[in-house]
Amino acid sequence: MASFLRHYGSLIGMAAIVVFFWIALPDTFMTLRNWLNISQQLSMLIVVAVTMTVVMVMGDFDLSVGAMASLSGVVAAVLFAQGLPVPVALAVALAVGLLGGIANGVLVSLIGILPFVATLATMTMFSGAAFLVSGGKTIFGRDIPQEFADFARSGLPLGTWGGNLVVLPALTLVAAVVTLLVWIVLEHTIYGRRLYAIGGNADAARLAGVKVAQLRLSAFAFTGMGAALAGIMYASRVASANPVQGDGLMLTAIAAVFLGMTATRDGQPNVLATVAGVVTLGVMDNGLTQLQVDSYVRQVLVGAIILLAVSISALGRRAIRLR
Amino acid sequence: MTGITRRSFWRIAGLTLATAVAIVGSAAFAEGEKIAVITPYLSQPGTQFYVEAFQARAKELGWEVNIIDTAGDVAAVISRMEDVSAQGVNAIVLNVDPAQVGAGLDAAVAANIPVFGMDAGADPRIKANITSNGYAMAAETSVYVANRIGGAGAVVMFVFDAFPPVQVRGAVADAVFKNHPDITVLDRVTPDVSDGGIADSRAKMEAILAANPEPGSIKAVWAAWDQPALGALQAIEAAGRQGEGIVITGIDANPQARDAIAADGNFEASVAQDFQGIGSTTADTVARVLGGETLKANVIYVPTKLITSSNAKD
Repeated sequence: MASFLRHYGSLIGMAAIVVFFWIALPDTFMTLRNWLNISQQLSMLIVVAVTMTVVMVMGDFDLSVGAMASLSGVVAAVLFAQGLPVPVALAVALAVGLLGGIANGVLVSLIGILPFVATLATMTMFSGAAFLVSGGKTIFGRDIPQEFADFARSGLPLGTWGGNLVVLPALTLVAAVVTLLVWIVLEHTIYGRRLYAIGGNADAARLAGVKVAQLRLSAFAFTGMGAALAGIMYASRVASANPVQGDGLMLTAIAAVFLGMTATRDGQPNVLATVAGVVTLGVMDNGLTQLQVDSYVRQVLVGAIILLAVSISALGRRAIRLR
Repeated sequence: MTGITRRSFWRIAGLTLATAVAIVGSAAFAEGEKIAVITPYLSQPGTQFYVEAFQARAKELGWEVNIIDTAGDVAAVISRMEDVSAQGVNAIVLNVDPAQVGAGLDAAVAANIPVFGMDAGADPRIKANITSNGYAMAAETSVYVANRIGGAGAVVMFVFDAFPPVQVRGAVADAVFKNHPDITVLDRVTPDVSDGGIADSRAKMEAILAANPEPGSIKAVWAAWDQPALGALQAIEAAGRQGEGIVITGIDANPQARDAIAADGNFEASVAQDFQGIGSTTADTVARVLGGETLKANVIYVPTKLITSSNAKD
């Protein structure tokens, strides 16, 4: 019973949430259109959470991702406003993410600052930089090229369903590609297995010949790039950029990774589990909104579900230990 | 699993489930028209006023209103618009610039759900935006200034042309002052607003006062919103020139401005938006459209009120 709960409790819980909404909202929840909507709504969070998983498998985390998402969004928008071509502006914004990620990596792995402190400091710096670059203003309207705004509304036509054209949203596709890439890197490369080894026991990994410092540094680069990409996706979705719009992504992404960890066999972060965590949080938002639950009550419920999942996982682990 | 852990597990699970079911159950099976009000700005005072007035009117109409606050997250506004479109509400009321939530408007249009703006901005996909008339508000204060100084003298203007709703106010004041041949605009200042607008306006006004030391060389300060008016007031008082009769006006009549106006000093007038009126008029407009009426105008203005020392404390 204990090991069953330990291994499948969270997955059953996640499924139960979906079934609950399916029953409560028989006509509008379990529809292809709604799920495509959810996938699009979650695409930015998925990119942040999945790349966050890369540092979390080493036992580190990155508090600066939300501020980086805001920064990359305003960098791209300011360059648009200067009249630069869209690909150039996006490349610069991604480069900002890469550099920010490398900076985090240097602070954590070479200088040896705790990730919490290092990324808290860079979070403040990135956020300040976002205000500096944008002058504190929201950049929108004519400054945002139509082709960039249109990207978030475009997609891959899948065919017609009940007379309506069904489109796989472009943002969903981006999130799927990032998830696939990170999954391959973490699960199917030596590089990825070494990151897990660092997370298991950094000293043992070092003694076994793993270049811990370089690997930790490079992992933060992933997270920075992911955050920057998510910031660009956000800016495209709202066809505007302001210096705080990505900030909320950070805590939700960390929550999603933790929620996902409760669903894995060994309690370690895992890309697909992270996606399951993100989807659970997104389904709660979508379903509770459709059920007209007050938005503040919704926040309380989402927190309670996270606690419940983590409690089941912790109780299961303790029960196994006691046996 | 041991007995204790199993019991505590079921207790946690049971409690959470019971709470969820109770909350969800009370909301899910209500009757009446379903209206979703979506805003990222519920914590701001003005927004609270019109949301409360909207709810009060909606209650009279027997509607089921779902207030959704995304706490500053504009992308979440789009997401929630998609959710309530899938749910099939009867109408959506928005309180955010439509230019930022185009994808959400597309979802509502596709689901055939009318969208209304509550001080939101105009968009072809919005049935009507209910707001205050910025042109009229600026006309009220600029004409007040022109009349108070007898149509003659130097006026300092505080404007902010980068933000469209405020640009409109400056354009109207320009026209009013231009129409008086003896009024000269001494300076047209755009303050730095990153600190809220008061401090930098004060610094700018101090510089202007220093450059124009003779009493009577500045007759009035017209500000496109209250913060620069408050900054100018501070500068004038700090320079000890409050006795020169420099007339200051603002727009919005925020609490700080009302206090200054009530004190009967240089800050003489501002214009108050009727937030409650915007809320209840939005509800009435939704009712008209749900009742089958087609609206001719897609912007509906709610009258504003000039605030002077006689009514600043009302």
